[in-house]
Amino acid sequence: MRSTEVAAPPHATFAAEVRDLSFSYEDRVALDGLSLSVPQGSVFGLLGPNGSGKSTLLSLLAGLRAPAGGELRVLGETPSPALRARIGFLFQETSLDPLMTVREVLWLHGRLFGLPAPVLRRRIEETLATVGLADRARSSVHTLSGGMKRRLELARALLPWPELLLLDEPTTGLDPDSEQALWSELERINREGATVVLATNKVAEAERHCGTVAFIHEGRVVAQGPPAELKAGLKRDAVWLEGLFTQDLVDAVGAWPDVGRLTWAPPILHATVDSASTFVPRLFQAAGDAVISVRLREATLEDAYFDIVGTPIANGGEA
Amino acid sequence: MIAAERAAGGPVIRAAMACQAILGRDLRAVLRSRSQLYSSLLFPLMLLAILGAGVSEGLDPSSSRIRDGDYTSYLVPGLVVMAALFSSTFSSASYYHDRDSGLLRVMMASPHSPRVILLGKALAGVLIGAAQGLGLLAVAALIPGINLEWQFGAAPGFLLAAGGGLLLAVFLNGFAQLMAARIRTMQGFHLVMNLVLFPLLFFSGAFFPLDDLPLWLKVAAAVNPLSYAVDLVHIAAYTDTNGHFGLAVDLAVLGVLAPAVFLLGIGSKKGAE
Repeated sequence: MRSTEVAAPPHATFAAEVRDLSFSYEDRVALDGLSLSVPQGSVFGLLGPNGSGKSTLLSLLAGLRAPAGGELRVLGETPSPALRARIGFLFQETSLDPLMTVREVLWLHGRLFGLPAPVLRRRIEETLATVGLADRARSSVHTLSGGMKRRLELARALLPWPELLLLDEPTTGLDPDSEQALWSELERINREGATVVLATNKVAEAERHCGTVAFIHEGRVVAQGPPAELKAGLKRDAVWLEGLFTQDLVDAVGAWPDVGRLTWAPPILHATVDSASTFVPRLFQAAGDAVISVRLREATLEDAYFDIVGTPIANGGEA
Repeated sequence: MIAAERAAGGPVIRAAMACQAILGRDLRAVLRSRSQLYSSLLFPLMLLAILGAGVSEGLDPSSSRIRDGDYTSYLVPGLVVMAALFSSTFSSASYYHDRDSGLLRVMMASPHSPRVILLGKALAGVLIGAAQGLGLLAVAALIPGINLEWQFGAAPGFLLAAGGGLLLAVFLNGFAQLMAARIRTMQGFHLVMNLVLFPLLFFSGAFFPLDDLPLWLKVAAAVNPLSYAVDLVHIAAYTDTNGHFGLAVDLAVLGVLAPAVFLLGIGSKKGAE
């Protein structure tokens, strides 16, 4: 593992501790000796492509599946149905009955979590106000917009005061305003003490909101640390080149002084550089017709991920 | 927060709360689904009108088991069982609706074993199935021209039929849970349930008396759990005899079979997943 981390303070307690965790779906390995520690009170990101094992890990943390091997402690306990009283789970797919009303959704959930009726009535009002749905309590779910449905699901996850919030791609399908509103709430909840574990394949989301990020690839953690540490060694700009490059050319480019990390995963040559505007013309001079396409942007965690794994997050696995 | 406020009671109370919440939600869903509600009542009534009148008037229902050749009244207990059967099947199919909408996954992520969730759903199915069967019996009893016997009196007879209907619904929901645990799609579930349950209904005495049937059909009826439910409702509401199998046998068979199949259904691991 490339990392940096696990730089938690010596006396830190962990909301989740995972060692050598393994799990398979029939003939497909989903988790393959995965290890990580989630500090209590943190916003912890699991960043990886679809099919890398993020959702499986969340379901194991929630005790919805049993691991085939390894050790797993969540909030100091072995996962069990009873422990789920302390965990909120926001699933990747919409999980709402369109025929129920907003209040019925929350009422059912609160009763499933054993909340007494008077407490639940008050809590429903609070959470609906928190997510901005107080005026939609009597609305049927099918009349809500996509963003409202997601906020309702967040309200449902928050209803029983979870100490650990598991979020599986919470902002998928949301417009920027809804996404921002959702994260405002999540950050507030985190400030109040809840630990947030976010599974995502959105690099910007992980970079912006997570104190620690674990890169997940084929069921393993390949790097882990604060985003700034994971990006250490990256230069300002990222250049993605597709082409028929020779190894000699790659070696030569890697020796240029303005080039930081350079990864050659044919046909992709990926480099972070001080300035793309000076690097690219020089590369064309050196490589000529071998260059098929060029993509430039500011270096992000995706570049760090590519450097380590050799495949981009967007194409790294199957759903 | 707020540990003190987090949950009420011990595990059993919380499990009961969860079952009650699921039951309430499923009942509301049925009450909102007007088409399901009306069709489950109107279809048996339509059969009663068309089949009952047709056979009574056009054919000669001369079996001694059909009182005064009044086939319409004879049909009532069988259609009560049919209504319970249809309602239980539809209610069990809500498992697929909840699975496809994602709600089942959310319920499974609550602090309960999957069996508690399945128990809540099955209890809702039992209540809905029994209520619709007995609703039909109550409506039929009020229709002029339908002559029910109530040999033990109307109220005790209705209570006896309610007991039978409840046991039948318990059996049917357990059976449906067993099927749902093995069938992945709602279409497949309905197909299999129809393939299994319609023959059971036909050979249960719901549409014709069992006494004059050939031996092989009598054997088929004797191993058919629905026959005992039809016989029980006949004894409670229609005939003044002790029925085909006898009240004690009906109660014994249903009393043993229904809880056994129900527990098997709730315990079905695949269904829980």
